[in-house]
Amino acid sequence: MTALSAPAMIAMMRPVATASRKVHHATFWSGAGPDRLRRLPGKRLVTGRDELAAPTAAELSHLVLRVARSDRQAFEQLFRHFAPRVKAYILRGGAEPGLAEEVAQETLLAVWRKASGFDPAKAGAATWIFTIARNLRIDRARRKGPPPTLGEDPSQQAEAPPPADEVIAAAERDDRVRRLVETLPAEQAEVLRLSFFAEEPQTEIAALLGIPLGTVKSRVRLAMARLRTALEDLER
Amino acid sequence: MIEFHPTDDSLARLAAGTLEAGPTIVVRTHVDGCERCRNAVGRLEAVGGALLNAIEPVAMQADAYALLEARLDRPAPATKAVAPARAVPANGPIELPAALEGLEIGRWRWLAPGVRRSRVTIPGAPDADLVMYRIGPNRRLPHHGHAGSEYTQVLSGSFFDETGHYRPGDLVEADGDVDHQPRVGPEGECICLAAVEGRMLPNGFFGRMMRPFV
Repeated sequence: MTALSAPAMIAMMRPVATASRKVHHATFWSGAGPDRLRRLPGKRLVTGRDELAAPTAAELSHLVLRVARSDRQAFEQLFRHFAPRVKAYILRGGAEPGLAEEVAQETLLAVWRKASGFDPAKAGAATWIFTIARNLRIDRARRKGPPPTLGEDPSQQAEAPPPADEVIAAAERDDRVRRLVETLPAEQAEVLRLSFFAEEPQTEIAALLGIPLGTVKSRVRLAMARLRTALEDLER
Repeated sequence: MIEFHPTDDSLARLAAGTLEAGPTIVVRTHVDGCERCRNAVGRLEAVGGALLNAIEPVAMQADAYALLEARLDRPAPATKAVAPARAVPANGPIELPAALEGLEIGRWRWLAPGVRRSRVTIPGAPDADLVMYRIGPNRRLPHHGHAGSEYTQVLSGSFFDETGHYRPGDLVEADGDVDHQPRVGPEGECICLAAVEGRMLPNGFFGRMMRPFV
């Protein structure tokens, strides 16, 4: 998947002194493809828009690790990428736009506060951020009290930087799943998204899309079967 | 060796956050103690992450980042001290599942001869139906008379029905229509955590036809 060598990934993981930051960035970004990203003088990475163009999972993991070291520029890039997506996710769950905006803010704030608990060997950044947004969504649906959180244990913080191959494996899984989701036939992706993000029972999805219930069921099964096979392959 | 697991449907709804509050705690208790299901949930959460990445973004307000940045320096609000879950007396106290931390665990109340029940309250979900049972050997488990699926996680001891013999770590998902007659085994008391879906969710995530992997 990636042109990065293990030593480059390991170099990326170590905390860097400011003076050597440029060197580390050059090592990291040289693997990412110079025609996709431009490195401007100063510390920000920009494209034509104020956002990383289709960042890879490894790049996103790297950003979270930088946020764990209180790097605000990394945090802003994460915000630009994820806040509008979390907002879209919450909207699809049936929230009002004001609430969706709020939950997106709360999610990114939680990212800032919990970044030191992010274990890149366990999951990619998008997966981790999804779980944060999901838990906040449950919380808001109940409107009071701490939700039964799922897997958000900050004590999972790694003592030492995790082995580079484990980080790559977790990020690779995220990338692999993302590519699969993006290449699903549109009708499978649509029912998968409706099933996963909204609380719509399948009967409602069928009515919404104007298709038979059996078609909804088989599309979700097909999509999940493809994803599961691919993910299990990765784990061998 | 855990033999009985939640269905793919329940695991998917857990990962998506669309499983009801009571069943969520029961399934979480199982997942915490089962590596296979933990991996499955991890994969399903990766699907959530991929869907999040692929979703058509909706622009935030123009000053959104500035507003958030102003909050970064403020300290996080102090989290309320969570009362530690009480140990459950059995033959010596058993360890309460981590999934029950922060929940209000009611006192054991006599329900029937050899059957005691503790209601577990989930903050923010007053309609949730989550209970723990302590049931003597050979006694029948209470029948819910429910319409939705019932989730039962065995914490200690065992119980059995026509379909199987369920031991610590096993999670039993029973359809509303199945008329089963569960009974505690003869070897000793059984302690289990149970929840029922409050509302009918016909066809769930996968369509509820996926049997759990055995």
